[in-house]
Amino acid sequence: GQEFRFGHCRVQGVELQKLRKAFWTVKDTVQAQDHNTSVRLLRKEILQNVSDAESCYFIRSLLKFYLKTVFKNYYNKTTELQILRSFSTLTNNFIVIISKLQPSEENEMFSIIESAHRQFLHFQGAFKQLDTDAALTKAIGEMDILLTWMEKYYQ
Amino acid sequence: LADGVAVLPAPQNLSVHSANMKHLLTWSPVVVPGEIIYYSVEYQGEYEILYLSHLWIPSHWCSSTKGPQCDITDDITATVQYNLRVRATLGSQTSAWSTLEHPFNRNSTILTPPKIKVTKDGFHLVIELEDLGPQFEFYVVYWRNEPGAKEHVQVVKSGGIPVHLETMEPGARYCMKAQTFVKAIERHSAFSQAECIEVQGDAL
Amino acid sequence: MKNVLQWNPPEGLTGVEVIYTVQYFIYGEKKWLGKPECKNISRTYCDLSPETSDYEHQYYAKVMAIWKTNCSKWAETGRFYPYLETQIGPPAVALTIDETSMSIVLTAPEKWKRNPEERSISMQQIYPTLKYNVSVYNTKTNRTWLQCVTNHSLVLPWLEPDTLYCIRVQALIPGPPRLSPPSEKQCVTTLKDQTSAMK
Repeated sequence: GQEFRFGHCRVQGVELQKLRKAFWTVKDTVQAQDHNTSVRLLRKEILQNVSDAESCYFIRSLLKFYLKTVFKNYYNKTTELQILRSFSTLTNNFIVIISKLQPSEENEMFSIIESAHRQFLHFQGAFKQLDTDAALTKAIGEMDILLTWMEKYYQ
Repeated sequence: LADGVAVLPAPQNLSVHSANMKHLLTWSPVVVPGEIIYYSVEYQGEYEILYLSHLWIPSHWCSSTKGPQCDITDDITATVQYNLRVRATLGSQTSAWSTLEHPFNRNSTILTPPKIKVTKDGFHLVIELEDLGPQFEFYVVYWRNEPGAKEHVQVVKSGGIPVHLETMEPGARYCMKAQTFVKAIERHSAFSQAECIEVQGDAL
Repeated sequence: MKNVLQWNPPEGLTGVEVIYTVQYFIYGEKKWLGKPECKNISRTYCDLSPETSDYEHQYYAKVMAIWKTNCSKWAETGRFYPYLETQIGPPAVALTIDETSMSIVLTAPEKWKRNPEERSISMQQIYPTLKYNVSVYNTKTNRTWLQCVTNHSLVLPWLEPDTLYCIRVQALIPGPPRLSPPSEKQCVTTLKDQTSAMK
């Protein structure tokens, strides 16, 4: 079956198609709430600068941020059933992914970890420059960019 | 009765029966003679349990249902623990919530061997597997029915359509069996019974 | 990746000469940009393929209607993501046949390009996991079977001699799954069985 291979991290048991479908049902609703279109958090250069070896560390930081900050706070902004259901699919599968990411913490990985963290900080920095609600909406609206980047590691 | 007001009893004996990734929540019906009772089902996944414990999400198909059961397959969309609860409604009366005693995880589903249909089109061995839905792949093992024959394995991505398996040699007899594999829970079923088919024509 | 913006004329203005102006926006950039070929036009479409050729960016487009001295508000699209929203065409299919086998060579469609001289980019390069569904129909047994192929060629050995086989192929790309329309049906007859031919 298919699995994610972020560098040396392997993740099985997650159906990327289900995540895509979950986001696709709410994409227009969520993206229409993002009026700050001159800012893109997951910029092309950030994603292109993440090497294969760094990808495991980068995706772990990103998904943790999405679970602990983005989704957690955005949930309070919505009572729309379809969004709640889609988010439940996304968040619970992100929990599965994070639980299976076992990046090695050995010393020689230090520079890779550092570099991956820098890319994550670029994302987080742009997030923090926005008003909170706008940042939450934008981060959720960019899930198609995130899932497309993840798909490159889905084999 | 509570303060003289009839209180609707909460549904009891909640349980989940899950087979081939179809999950059915059942409970004992609440009986009020001459009345129709409606039930609502809600769920929360591990994320909601961890980060938003107050949040329960109405089930896709059973936000108001008559039967004492609910197909929760479309609600269980990740391989994590899910809490499930049900309550009864009669007019303006609603019962307390009744929560499944143990959280449900879809990796406990029962996987049955798939039904297979073997046909041939000239020298081509064609197999059609039971359509169990998009989450199912099939490992098909086939071999020439003769001593020492080597087993071949082919992954078939979906059921319900005839798929070319092998080109057979005239006069040979081929056998095959199949098992399902569900990547979402990383488990497979037992193998089906073997089925064999023979190709006319002189052996080379 | 040929991306064409289309719209309907405003209601209630039949018989009135209406012209349109189009602008587009790259998500994350700063300004709306115009396209000279789509300024003050009377048609109701605008080919934005050159402007949206970087399929990893996301875009918005908007249209304004102008009639006499009036102009409408801008009508704006949602966020358009070519990589996920483009459709794919069928592959080119080349068949060669002999007495009992057929070889099928598949060529993925090419990405839209500005002019014929521009370097061609195969959709396979953009979607490395592009797959093909090959459907094989035996007209003698009236049977069809499918084969999923991830590379460019496929050999079907041991076909029945002197039999008409028809082939159709669809391309499948990831993201929200998109299946191309089927290729033109191509039918070929396997050669007669030479041994029986010599009797």
